[in-house]
This record gives sequence, structure tokens and C-alpha cells, in this order.
Amino acid sequence: MNASPVIAVTGLHRGENPQPGSAVIRSLRRVYPELRIIGLVYDSLESGLFSEEDAPDAAFTMSYPGAGEEAFWQRLDAIREIERFDVLIPCLDAEMGPLVDSPEKLRERGIHACLPTAASFKCRDKSKLADLCERTHCHTPQTVAVSDVNSLHQAAASLGGNVFVKGRFYEARHALTPAAREAAYWHMLEQWGAPVLVQENVQGEEYNVVGLGDGRGHILGSCSIRKMLRTASGKGFGGMVVRDPQLDAVAQSLIAELRWHGPFELEFVKSEGPNGEYCLIEINPRFPAWCDFPSTLNCNLPAAALELALGWQPREPLRHASPGKFFIRHAIDMTGDIRDLAALTTSGQFFRQPREIIPHPASSRSL
Amino acid sequence: MKLASLPTLIRHSSQPHELAHAPASTAASASFDFHTVNWQPDGFGFDATSGEFFTASPTALIVMQALSEGMLRQQILDRLTARFEVARSTAERDLESFLAELVHIGLTPESN
Repeated sequence: MNASPVIAVTGLHRGENPQPGSAVIRSLRRVYPELRIIGLVYDSLESGLFSEEDAPDAAFTMSYPGAGEEAFWQRLDAIREIERFDVLIPCLDAEMGPLVDSPEKLRERGIHACLPTAASFKCRDKSKLADLCERTHCHTPQTVAVSDVNSLHQAAASLGGNVFVKGRFYEARHALTPAAREAAYWHMLEQWGAPVLVQENVQGEEYNVVGLGDGRGHILGSCSIRKMLRTASGKGFGGMVVRDPQLDAVAQSLIAELRWHGPFELEFVKSEGPNGEYCLIEINPRFPAWCDFPSTLNCNLPAAALELALGWQPREPLRHASPGKFFIRHAIDMTGDIRDLAALTTSGQFFRQPREIIPHPASSRSL
Repeated sequence: MKLASLPTLIRHSSQPHELAHAPASTAASASFDFHTVNWQPDGFGFDATSGEFFTASPTALIVMQALSEGMLRQQILDRLTARFEVARSTAERDLESFLAELVHIGLTPESN
């Protein structure tokens, strides 16, 4: 291992559907500003590459998950010939499967990671949530996995017609009509492969919990929010910290049952009515895009995940974020340079240089 | 003593619109506990358990605080007529209307 560990992070695009990587980098640097961090990207236009505040020190293009596992490991080895990173923090759902299925491949390369076991990873799969929730007495909307259009319509009818059609890894579309269901089905199939999930629509406010499991059934730290703003596709664009013992208890029972190791995000809808219950919508096996928000409130989960992966003593304790603190996402324009783009697209690697300062004409004008 | 305005309460709630948050929700959603809402003197209320927040007019604020203290209608009317220049019959009519509105937006007061 390097004297000072080098960290590799994926998922650096913060577009319409923001990925978590840049938020992870920002959180790590809050506690460990000296860390060398490299980005593993799938596109030379991932926006986090061009950020002033949370860009990696270097970036390398990865092979797409569709190219297969062998190509994935070969590319990882080729990158490590240039930049021998010690810790990998995967931030995309599609990357998780190959990693949790082959922890020995990480170990034999000397790569540290904070990952769940294959068994617990599979138990939180969207198609298995009902079994998990039955064991933990947690509510969850009825969900049916389908792989053809007839099954899609049958499933939707059995769920009352008002459903969400969801991709295997990402995305959900609310569909009320057969035509909308079919369009959503083909889109999800094309984007994320089979099966496509059909889920009962539970009305209510949405709550998310980000946390870190120790692998023995305990939550090392967590932060719960109510989504305040949502995009058209349902992504949270703002969230308010809440502290509800009922929500904490549900989260604890799920993580204890899974003996989850590593970062997670639990997504709930609290059903309407005076006795509304938290219904588990899904469990994301990684940090969410909003994971830097708790870090501003003394609950730095990415730094704690790094310490857990390396067996380090925590530099800062994890505290509970105060209810009433909230985040609002703010999209700004990043300035890139064609030379950076050229380096990444031709050689597949990019080393961050000091930014060129372009003086404003007004600043050189004498008064 | 001030003239009483009609009590109004706005519940700020997330809506599945593209980056739009509606100023008030008329649909019942998360459960509401009168005891967990912390009301500021300016009429801003925040429920740390549900993350919901509200804005209340001066008269609505008095009613909401009274409800959280478990007051009955007659006691709430006493407080309203003591604070504002309003006939008891008018205050009673406005209170009935406001309590019905609370039920409509899903903030059902406990037995009152």
C-alpha cells in the first residue's frame, strides 16, 4: 500500500440524475485534504472532472459494465500500472455486482473496499424486498418482476393499475395507462436490462436514510431526510433532516437483518393518514448523491467508510445531524478545456493541472 | 387589541413536479402530531419528526398552539376573544371553518 493511500472513486457526473462520486470526494477532502484521489469514469464529459472543488487529481476511463467482467478487471489492472490506488469506492449500482461477487479479486490486488457480502447484496435486490420486509416486519409496496409485455399488464392490473415501472438498477416512471406502462417497460428494458419491476404506487411523503453499516448488524452513523424538492423523474433536489425514532427503528432492523457492511441508502414513502407507516421502496447499495450534505453537519459517512475499509481509527466521530437543516441542490456551469477532453478521449487518462486564470478585461483597466 | 383576521394555515409540502414545490397541499399526507411541531412567534412551525413546515396567520397560530396544549373549543374561543377585537359568534364561526380546513388538509385535531 502507498504510504498515503490513493483512493479511486467512480460516478462523477452530476447532471440531471446526479451520481454520488463528486460528493464522496468532497466529503473525503473535508477530513483528509491531503488524500490523492483518482476518478474512474465512463465518459470524458462526466461533469465532476471539471469542478474546481471536488475534482479528482487524475482520471481514467473505464470499460463499460456491458463489456463484461474480464474487461473490467483488465482495465482496472492497466490503470493500477499507472496509478496504484489502494481503496476503491464504487458509486454506481451497475458496478456493485461484479465487485461483491468477487471480493477475492480485490483482495489479491491489495485493493481495500467497504462492500457488503454477496448474500446481503442479493437480499436487498428490488425483486427480493418483499422477503426482506417480511422478515423485518417492515412495510413495502407490492412489486412484481416482469420480462414480457403480457406479464407487465397482468402485474399492473393486479396492483390496481396505478403503478411505477422501474429499471433493474435505476429509474422509475409513474404509469397510469397501458400505453404509458409499455413505453416505460421498453425504456427500462433497453436501459437496464431484464427484469423490469412493476411496483404498487404508495401515496405519501418520501424519506431517505443514508448510513454506514459495520457488517455485524450495527449502523455506525446515519442521517434521515424528507425530500423537499423532486425532479420530474422523482430525484430529490432538496432534503430536510428529520429525527423520527420510528424511522430509525425501521432502518436499524433492516441493516441488522442484512448485516450490511458499507454505505447504504434506504428509500421510504410514508403512507398517508394519521397512522402512516414507512414503506420501503428500495435499498441502494452505495452512497447517494446527497451524501456530502450530512458531512457538513458533522456526520461524514464517506470519511468513515474510508476508515472502515482501511481499519483506521476515526479521525472525527459521527454525530447526528440536527433536524431542520436542509440542502437544496444548485446547478452551475463548469469551465473545461479542450486539452483535458483530448487527453481523456485519446489516452484514457487525465492529470489535473493548475487552472489557467483568464483575467477579466475590467480587472486590468485603470480607474 | 387587534382585529382578528381569518385564521389561515399553509402546509408546505414536496410535490412531484419538476423542481416545483407547492405552497400548500390540500391532500392528506404524512401523519401530524400537534405535540411535535415547534411554533415560532412569527407563525412558522416545524415538525422535526416529519420534516414538514407550516406558516400560520396570527389567529391560526393561537389556535394551533392552543390545540397543541390540548385546549377545548370553548377555551380556544376564550383565548381568541381575549386577544382580538372580535365578537364571540364571529370567532366561533371562523374557528369552525378553520378546524374544518385542518381536517381537509389532513391535520385532524384530536377530539375537540
